[in-house]
Amino acid sequence: MATGVALAIETSCDDTAAAVVDATWRVRSSVIESSIDQHREFGGVVPELAGRAHLTTVGPVVRRALDDAGLDPRAPAIDVVAVTAGPGLVGSLLIGLSAAKAYSLAWDVPFVGVNHLEGHLFAPLLERPDLQWPIVTLLVSGGHSMIVVQRGPGEHVVVGETIDDAAGEAYDKVARWLGLAYPGGPEIDRLARQGTGGALKLPVSMTGDDFDLSFSGLKTAVVRATEKHPEVALADVAASFQDAVAEQLLRKLRRVLEAYGEVRGVALAGGVAANSALRRGVEALADEFAIPSLLPSLAMCTDNAAMIGAAGLHRFAHDGPSDLSLSARPNWSLSEVS
Amino acid sequence: MNILAIETATTACALGLRSDDGFEVGWVVDEDRRHTEVLAASISRLLREARLRARDLDRVVVDRGPGLFTGLRVGLATALGLSEATGCPLVGVTSLELFAHASHDSGTRGTLVCAVDGRRGEVFVQTFALDEAVTPVDEPSVARAHDVAAKWVGRDEPVTFTGDGVERYLGDFAAVARGVVDHQTVPSVAASLSLGATRPPVARVEPLYLRDADAVANFTTRVRP
Ligand SMILES: [Zn+2]
Repeated sequence: MATGVALAIETSCDDTAAAVVDATWRVRSSVIESSIDQHREFGGVVPELAGRAHLTTVGPVVRRALDDAGLDPRAPAIDVVAVTAGPGLVGSLLIGLSAAKAYSLAWDVPFVGVNHLEGHLFAPLLERPDLQWPIVTLLVSGGHSMIVVQRGPGEHVVVGETIDDAAGEAYDKVARWLGLAYPGGPEIDRLARQGTGGALKLPVSMTGDDFDLSFSGLKTAVVRATEKHPEVALADVAASFQDAVAEQLLRKLRRVLEAYGEVRGVALAGGVAANSALRRGVEALADEFAIPSLLPSLAMCTDNAAMIGAAGLHRFAHDGPSDLSLSARPNWSLSEVS
Repeated sequence: MNILAIETATTACALGLRSDDGFEVGWVVDEDRRHTEVLAASISRLLREARLRARDLDRVVVDRGPGLFTGLRVGLATALGLSEATGCPLVGVTSLELFAHASHDSGTRGTLVCAVDGRRGEVFVQTFALDEAVTPVDEPSVARAHDVAAKWVGRDEPVTFTGDGVERYLGDFAAVARGVVDHQTVPSVAASLSLGATRPPVARVEPLYLRDADAVANFTTRVRP
């Protein structure tokens, strides 16, 4: 079990976040500033704009997180500074990492580099400290889609992964095709609630016995089907696409639950975990297998620093501090961490 | 005054430290773009050697550019973190004025053109007049290295060129008949310590971006991890 209190910093993409978390997984503060409004018109996150925003925001965000947690910003009673070291945009990661090293050096407390994806895996724990192991987690975000078996905190095996696009990426691409605003996930989710799934016939992909995922074909299928059937209403297209994504994810999740018999919970993590169809589907699946569904609140699904703090406390307890020479790892895979 | 200078505007990473006890060091830590890997560890080492703690610093001086974005951000985020954590004031200097002051200190007089390598055939450039003092003649700007040199080719006036941007495009600058080159590649941390000691601190040090983000962005947007 981890001990102590962590100040965590997260700057892997467009969100600048800081949080204070303790070893009982209590979130004492969590602050997030997003630069997403600056990126909308480009239909995606512009690395240069994100980097500039982090540099402006990171100081005030950390100050607020310390202040909200009732800590002295010049001498906070913390045991470790946890920071996302990857994966992510290198120009964004560098800012959080450099600031974290400076805080660590100035306060004379150790620092630890955290894998952002492992951070996402800790998000369900923060709200359900009573959960029973092992659990299966569906981790779906803009850049990643994978199914992970967790035997305990920080003990994880990636059993299935997307072979092409991530689910969130498919959402953004389809949204762009449909002329919807960026980011596409919330837009399609909102529209889909007014539409009828199945109105647009989409092929079922990835029907194999493995646990891998694929969304590139589905995106192409939406383009073809809407060209062929321009009469189908936008809301119905959104609902059909959303259903197809959820169907594939849930089918693979079911296969993993069947294959790993003694699973005691099923969790969702990552930005796409905010999706309503997916949440309903996972709840139904959990009921069917008579295990708890571990659905983080929306704030814990999307990028935040509290999850980095939780993962950081664990890594610090198990592997010790990171060296001040740690570099950013933009392509750091989850499989390299355990 | 205990004062730390952080220099990351070019491919090099350099540090300066001057203490009340008479400790003074200027140190080019690395010349190969490893700012992230070497900066914090080197600050820690330098403070230990000077028998200081970060909270003993009275001032941190940081080069706010112009220069290469990756390095600049590492330097600025580090300076900002030190200042936030200790309450120690920040002072900003520019890479171009550091070249100018170092050249002045080594005896250069007259017109001096300082150029920092901006990649893609361009330099960040500023002209200074050096007599007893160092006076900027124009504002920092970005231009093609070839064009900056070409402006001086036909002139009768002697001129000195300096900076890593001059070294990078030495062929262009060597073509200036009345030009001489002061071979500097790393903005001087000695100059940074001197300027930093006399200049009033600021609440925020803003990086000096001479290119628009839109122009810098190659529009390859990325997805969220
Ligand atoms: Zn994420």
